[in-house]
Amino acid sequence: MSLERRMLTRELKLNVARPGEIFKPMWFLILVVSMLPLALAPDSDLLSEIGSAMIWVATLLALLLNTEHLFQSDFSDGVLEQWLFLNRPLAWLVGLKLIAHWLFHVLPLILITPIAGIMLSVPTDVLWALLVTLVIATPALTCFSGLGAALTLGSSRSGILGVLVMMPLFVPIVILAAGVLIRAMDGSDTLPLLALLGAFSVVAATVVPIAVSAAIRLNIGGSN
Amino acid sequence: MGWRWFHQWGSPRWFYERAGRWQLVCGRLALTLLITGSLWGLAFAPIDYQQGNSYRIIYLHVPVAFLAQALYAAMAVCAVVLFVWKMKLADVAMQSIAIMGFAFTALSLISGAVWGKPTWGTYWVWDARLTSMLILAFLYLGVIGLRAAIQDPDQAGKACGILVLVGVVNLPIIKYSVEWWNTLHQPASLKLTEKPAMPASMWIPLLINILGYYVAAAYLILGSMRAIVLERERRSAWVRELVSRA
Amino acid sequence: MIFEPIDIEISKLSCERDDRLLFKNLSMTLNPGQILRVAGPNGAGKTTLLRTIAGLFDIQTGTIRMNQLPLKECLEQILYIGHKPQVTKDLTVLDNLKFLTGSDDDHLKRALSDVGLKGYHDSLVKELSQGQGRRCALARLWCVKAPIWILDEPYTALDVEMVKTLDTRITWHSAAGGICLFTTHQPPQSLKYTTLELDHVT
Repeated sequence: MSLERRMLTRELKLNVARPGEIFKPMWFLILVVSMLPLALAPDSDLLSEIGSAMIWVATLLALLLNTEHLFQSDFSDGVLEQWLFLNRPLAWLVGLKLIAHWLFHVLPLILITPIAGIMLSVPTDVLWALLVTLVIATPALTCFSGLGAALTLGSSRSGILGVLVMMPLFVPIVILAAGVLIRAMDGSDTLPLLALLGAFSVVAATVVPIAVSAAIRLNIGGSN
Repeated sequence: MGWRWFHQWGSPRWFYERAGRWQLVCGRLALTLLITGSLWGLAFAPIDYQQGNSYRIIYLHVPVAFLAQALYAAMAVCAVVLFVWKMKLADVAMQSIAIMGFAFTALSLISGAVWGKPTWGTYWVWDARLTSMLILAFLYLGVIGLRAAIQDPDQAGKACGILVLVGVVNLPIIKYSVEWWNTLHQPASLKLTEKPAMPASMWIPLLINILGYYVAAAYLILGSMRAIVLERERRSAWVRELVSRA
Repeated sequence: MIFEPIDIEISKLSCERDDRLLFKNLSMTLNPGQILRVAGPNGAGKTTLLRTIAGLFDIQTGTIRMNQLPLKECLEQILYIGHKPQVTKDLTVLDNLKFLTGSDDDHLKRALSDVGLKGYHDSLVKELSQGQGRRCALARLWCVKAPIWILDEPYTALDVEMVKTLDTRITWHSAAGGICLFTTHQPPQSLKYTTLELDHVT
């Protein structure tokens, strides 16, 4: 069995063994979305206007919190340092781990956003735009938050530092996604912005794993 | 000659001794420039016909805002030097610049808010420039926070280096996206409009002050770098000797 | 199985950690079949030396070459087992080994019965005792083809019988031309090895 398949099989089995890790972010997303009408007003016009942006931010937070400890358990078990002996570039293995994370953790999160959309009476065509932006933008978000996770690996009292450090870098992605949603709301062309978002994700997915692998190597070198 | 000048920078002791002298020069120069520029700007430059005297805060706000951005670039240069030449002094510089950079960013935000109140009637608007400045402050905070969380100074330095490099690549993208975002939503009712050309009696003191703040920043950074060098080298013979002499 | 001849050449290796000099100008050559025990008091730098040779720590000064090649190009020749468990608690014994070694099931099952974990294939590692977990990590020695073994405290938490089994395995490895470096505080009885004593330099 090739190393790539072994790696993905392992991730699949780990996620089957720890289903809570998949459900917690979804639970978080729905909870946050339920808080909004309670804090604001049950007025459906108002909710549908800010609903899609709210769901976007809530998904972003759920993804960040979920990715914060991406490498932590492998690191403390000493499995992560074994990756260096696996005859593949570390950045490639990191990329595989990020892909697996996106498939098993981020995709389920995206798939329940329509429920959140219904709760906030988001119009159907905006809901579609929301789904598409999330699918296109989350690879970049996953890569960056993976970097946050890797940078804070060696620090025992980092808390949510990785999230805090990476959040400012999400600004362009959030702005572009919001642009798509606004255009979807007034029915104008969203394609150019989606292409730009996609380009961002592609660049992030090729470059960021290299930075992540440098951060992991750094933390392996600093631990005893 | 050759590369010797470059390798000297690798010696903390050499740096510590030289930097003391440079600091003195910078301090004097900064003091002269700032006194001249500020006095001229605050007392003698003409009143702005639109804003009255409140415009005079530009003699603080503009230099500080320039520095806030320039220092992030300086930090990125240090990160490159750290990774390419493994020079520990670059890490020391990165550490002091992060703190100074955050201080200048905060100062520019605060002075901007103070200026905004009489000019626009509000302390804060979500203008493109203000927003990117705010995000810059968060980026600086991230670098400071990351360093504080990691115990080993070498490791902390490299982690911050990675973060700074990723940040500096993102910075222009953030800036452009924030500008675009500003045009996307209904145009802000309050805008930082392009100022008409300033008379020389206004911009010459501003130029002097910009120079003065740059030199003052160099003074502060050199000072904090010397302190960090002392702390990191506290167990070496030359620092002990220095302490026992004092 | 006989390994291709391999040697490790360490020259003028020095390492400083937290302002403390751990070792200075360490030079040695490890030849095929050599078993080397790195000894020394706590904090003498045994783990640091082992991790440096395994390529996990950056070399501060000096060089390490394997068959004349720089260390970074030879990492897949190394099997490193450190202090940490090296296994994932939430996976079964078999899945853990399958990921790390890439061997097939039959091979792995044989290796597991060699380390006394027969019948535990499908147990989760978190259900095992500490000693059994260690056995699971060590089972890799029975199925990996790497000629260089770097074992940090491999005898920890093992019973007398398993210690003997491990000694026998290391002896075979050496007979096949492999190199083994290890640390331990209880010198193994049934193993012939040379010792490198690390003392506090400062």
